[in-house]
Amino acid sequence: MPMDTTTMDPEGVTETLNREKVQAYSGPEPEWLKERRSHAWEVYEKTPMPTTRLEEWRYTDLKKKLDLDGLAWPEVTECADDFDACPDGLRDAMEADRAAAGHVWGIDGLVFHIDLEEDLQQKGVVLTSTRRAVDSHPDLLKQYLATETLPPESGKFEALNASFWTDGILLYVPSGVRLDLPIRVTRWVSQTGVALFSRTLVIAEPGSQVSLVDEILSDDLESQTLVSDAVEVVAKDGAQVQYVSLQRLGHGAFYQSSQRTLAQRDSTLDTLNVSMGASTSRVDLNAQLLGPGANSDMLGLYFGDDTQHFDHNTSQDHVAPNTSSDLLYKGALDNESRSVFRGIIRVHPKGQKTDAYQTNRNLLLSDNARADSLPNLEIQADDVRCSHGATVGQLDAESRFYLMSRGLTREQAERLVVMGFLGEVLSRLPLGGVVEKVTNVIEEKLRQV
Amino acid sequence: MPENETLQDLGLDEYKYGFVDEEKHVFRTQPGLTEEVVRQISAQKEEPEWMLEFRLKALDIYNSKPMPTWGGDLSSLNRVLDDIYYYVRPQDKMEHDWDDVPENIKTTFERLGIPEAEQKILAGVGAQYESEMVYHSLKQEWEEKGVIFDSIEEGLKNHPELFRQYFGTVVPSEDNKFSAMNSAVWSGGSFVYIPKGVELETPLQAYFRVNQERMGQFERTLIIADEGSHAHYIEGCTAPVYSTESFHSGVIEIVVHQNARFRYTTIQNWSNNMYNLVTQRAMVHENASMEWLDGNLGSKLTMKYPSCFLVGEGAHGEILSIAYAGNGQHHDTGGKVVHAAPRTTSSIVSKSISRGTGRSSYRGLCKVYEGAKHAKSNVECDALLINDTSRTDTYPYIEIDERDANVGHEATVSKVGEEQLFYLMSRGMSEEEAMALIVRGFIEPIAKELPLEYAVELNRLIDLEMEGSVG
Amino acid sequence: MAEWIKVATLEECPPGSLRSTMVGIDPVVIANVDGTVYAAVDRCSHEDLPLSDGEMEGANLVCTYHGARFDITTGAPRGLPAVKPIKTFPVEVREDGIYIQKG
Repeated sequence: MPMDTTTMDPEGVTETLNREKVQAYSGPEPEWLKERRSHAWEVYEKTPMPTTRLEEWRYTDLKKKLDLDGLAWPEVTECADDFDACPDGLRDAMEADRAAAGHVWGIDGLVFHIDLEEDLQQKGVVLTSTRRAVDSHPDLLKQYLATETLPPESGKFEALNASFWTDGILLYVPSGVRLDLPIRVTRWVSQTGVALFSRTLVIAEPGSQVSLVDEILSDDLESQTLVSDAVEVVAKDGAQVQYVSLQRLGHGAFYQSSQRTLAQRDSTLDTLNVSMGASTSRVDLNAQLLGPGANSDMLGLYFGDDTQHFDHNTSQDHVAPNTSSDLLYKGALDNESRSVFRGIIRVHPKGQKTDAYQTNRNLLLSDNARADSLPNLEIQADDVRCSHGATVGQLDAESRFYLMSRGLTREQAERLVVMGFLGEVLSRLPLGGVVEKVTNVIEEKLRQV
Repeated sequence: MPENETLQDLGLDEYKYGFVDEEKHVFRTQPGLTEEVVRQISAQKEEPEWMLEFRLKALDIYNSKPMPTWGGDLSSLNRVLDDIYYYVRPQDKMEHDWDDVPENIKTTFERLGIPEAEQKILAGVGAQYESEMVYHSLKQEWEEKGVIFDSIEEGLKNHPELFRQYFGTVVPSEDNKFSAMNSAVWSGGSFVYIPKGVELETPLQAYFRVNQERMGQFERTLIIADEGSHAHYIEGCTAPVYSTESFHSGVIEIVVHQNARFRYTTIQNWSNNMYNLVTQRAMVHENASMEWLDGNLGSKLTMKYPSCFLVGEGAHGEILSIAYAGNGQHHDTGGKVVHAAPRTTSSIVSKSISRGTGRSSYRGLCKVYEGAKHAKSNVECDALLINDTSRTDTYPYIEIDERDANVGHEATVSKVGEEQLFYLMSRGMSEEEAMALIVRGFIEPIAKELPLEYAVELNRLIDLEMEGSVG
Repeated sequence: MAEWIKVATLEECPPGSLRSTMVGIDPVVIANVDGTVYAAVDRCSHEDLPLSDGEMEGANLVCTYHGARFDITTGAPRGLPAVKPIKTFPVEVREDGIYIQKG
């Protein structure tokens, strides 16, 4: 990796990731998109590779964790839109999904199946892949994709994703349309040693309601694979939106997700990030509360084992008065796994009557696990109620002994205590199917302890 | 507080320590920091060669370290640092008898109430004026028990082995840019040794006064609390108000040996043109206890994070921090606790008030090394905001590498409650009286830890500062 | 495995010098204190920065970054901010150079 800052060489340019590749890839695309990618690439070249000298990357050393030079461009695999032909892991995940208003399946950064209830289509709901949307809904993409919400200027990875995204999900819900059931996205990664870039864009018009459950998974990967997601969610006045990310990638994955949510007046925009897999998983989540009455619940849950490294970097921006946000991130860490949580509540000068909370709790299950927590506040309005808290502790011996005295084995008791600890997060976003799925994954991990 | 006392009665926003004495000094260096200045300081002090070498090396370290980009706004500091005097010698020698202190300096300290306090409540007093300690005395009973309470220069001269054993081992020059600067130009400060088992019943106090305009004060204090000893050291700081900026950068090193207890209290009330960048650190051994009480009221910008390195089993560290940031002030303060041994415990309580355009930031670190089994730490931060232009921040770092540890951090931010105000006003108080009462209640947990005289002084300052705060 | 590995020649490590070398994937610092050669892991126990950028003061190795000190003969911390020892390695000076034993 070119790390020498004394030269003017842009950092992170490789045989796979370079200007020629961007141009070649966007060759057949319309002019506006070519320009957008080319601009994103310029920003990428100008942006230095984050180092541990940056507060936001203090505990995640990319020099040690990510080898960009080793990444190849994925081969394009044409997949038939056929459930039975799907890889087993993907099929299992989809089968576990309960009823949904629509489904999206994808492999290696390309979407190959989309379905949506007929009556929703008639009401004007759009569920499509971002690739198809270039032709079918260019205006939506022009307005929202990598523009105001998550522009390439947001950071190195955001610029890289905006340069190279291959596909993703576009979900548009017109005014007043409410979806009773969630949209379920299941994405599978099968290639190893490659870089995958995907974007998710959710636009909820005033008074609409929608939930999106986005699951990404893979088997263990032989050599490092970069999985990069960019997620942009906009809830307009009075809209209600839930975005759930379930990350269950295998060993060898470097997962990087940049998410930004914009909540307008009186809207509710809740997120849940479940990080279970990947060798390194970095999630940047920024919630913007832009209109009075906006509210965001931000939940997170992680379980580390082996040498997994999780880094959750969250921020809550209270820009308008009378907004509220409540963040709860909880995680258990086993073996030599490590968690970093860095969160910041920023109350801007006009953010009077803000209610903002932020809690990070960690449970260390092993002698070699490590947790770093940096819950920050920056408050520039006086009429606010803000608090944050962080704890790092061990398994509560008392509850364990209590359960053991009731006839449970030590392992059973520990499992129950951990489930109880993490369950608090799940109980706050009881979306059909998600709780069961996550519970199963955690139990699977606990069995391996 | 007497009943129905109002904020006006207390005569608020004026800074009562802002008076200026006539400038008199016997020597001062050229403005700015150069090798020549460092050599002159060392020569003035007739130091041994090793100390000159120590200083010159520290100057190199200082020059090689970049200006911090975090914390407060240091963008105009380079200009300030080129303009200030790094060493101003106010008189020829230090006195041990109050009567021998030059008249103008004596008057200053009398106006600050120092001799009176010495009589009443203190075991010993040191007074620093500009760059040198001008007065140091210790009550005879403590001297007889082997307590050493000297200027740092006397410490180096009279107790060279003890001095050299500890100096720079708690806060090395390399630690940060300003510890390097202090190590190059240090002058004044105290050298304290409390012998084994000696329990000082009343505090030692050092008083720091800057009178010279565009002055940099760099006191260096080294304290050794030997096994089983108890003591309390208090420092107070004031300066006149000038339109130019002044600079204060102290380094305080404390070693608390096995079973000893030491408390270090700062009531910092520098004038609002002062940059106050201080490194305070204690090394705490087995079953010993260290407490920092840190009151930051004055200065333009303070960056200061008293630290406890808990290196012995069962060591305890405590940091109580209160910051009051009025118009144009920024306090970036907090504390650090490092748990490096089993069964170590710590607590940080931080209370801040921001008023007008004031900004208070809590910045702290709690680190638990692997092997510090059963370590426990708790951090609580409360911030009170008075106006819509006030600002508060909280930046705690929590780094836990040991499973058998329990660490918690909580912070809350609130506005002075309208319900509380309304209730108190319904009981016949004016809004200002009510506000003063609420603020006082807020800092109570800290004030009650201070010796009575200081608690009264702190309350009075808060009252003063609260004047005109309403509306 | 107590294997002896050659890390440098004596000429490369004159008295008072500090030298950094890689042994496998591990950085090692070699110090010559008045003719006696010592070796330790070349990472400060404070912030993981290379100790070989620092200098010797007697038998103390001083980290240039934050001033942590270690007794090079034992690895014990000798000054804050270091609170944990660094790992040291047995050293033998043979005819053809300096060997360390990595366990």
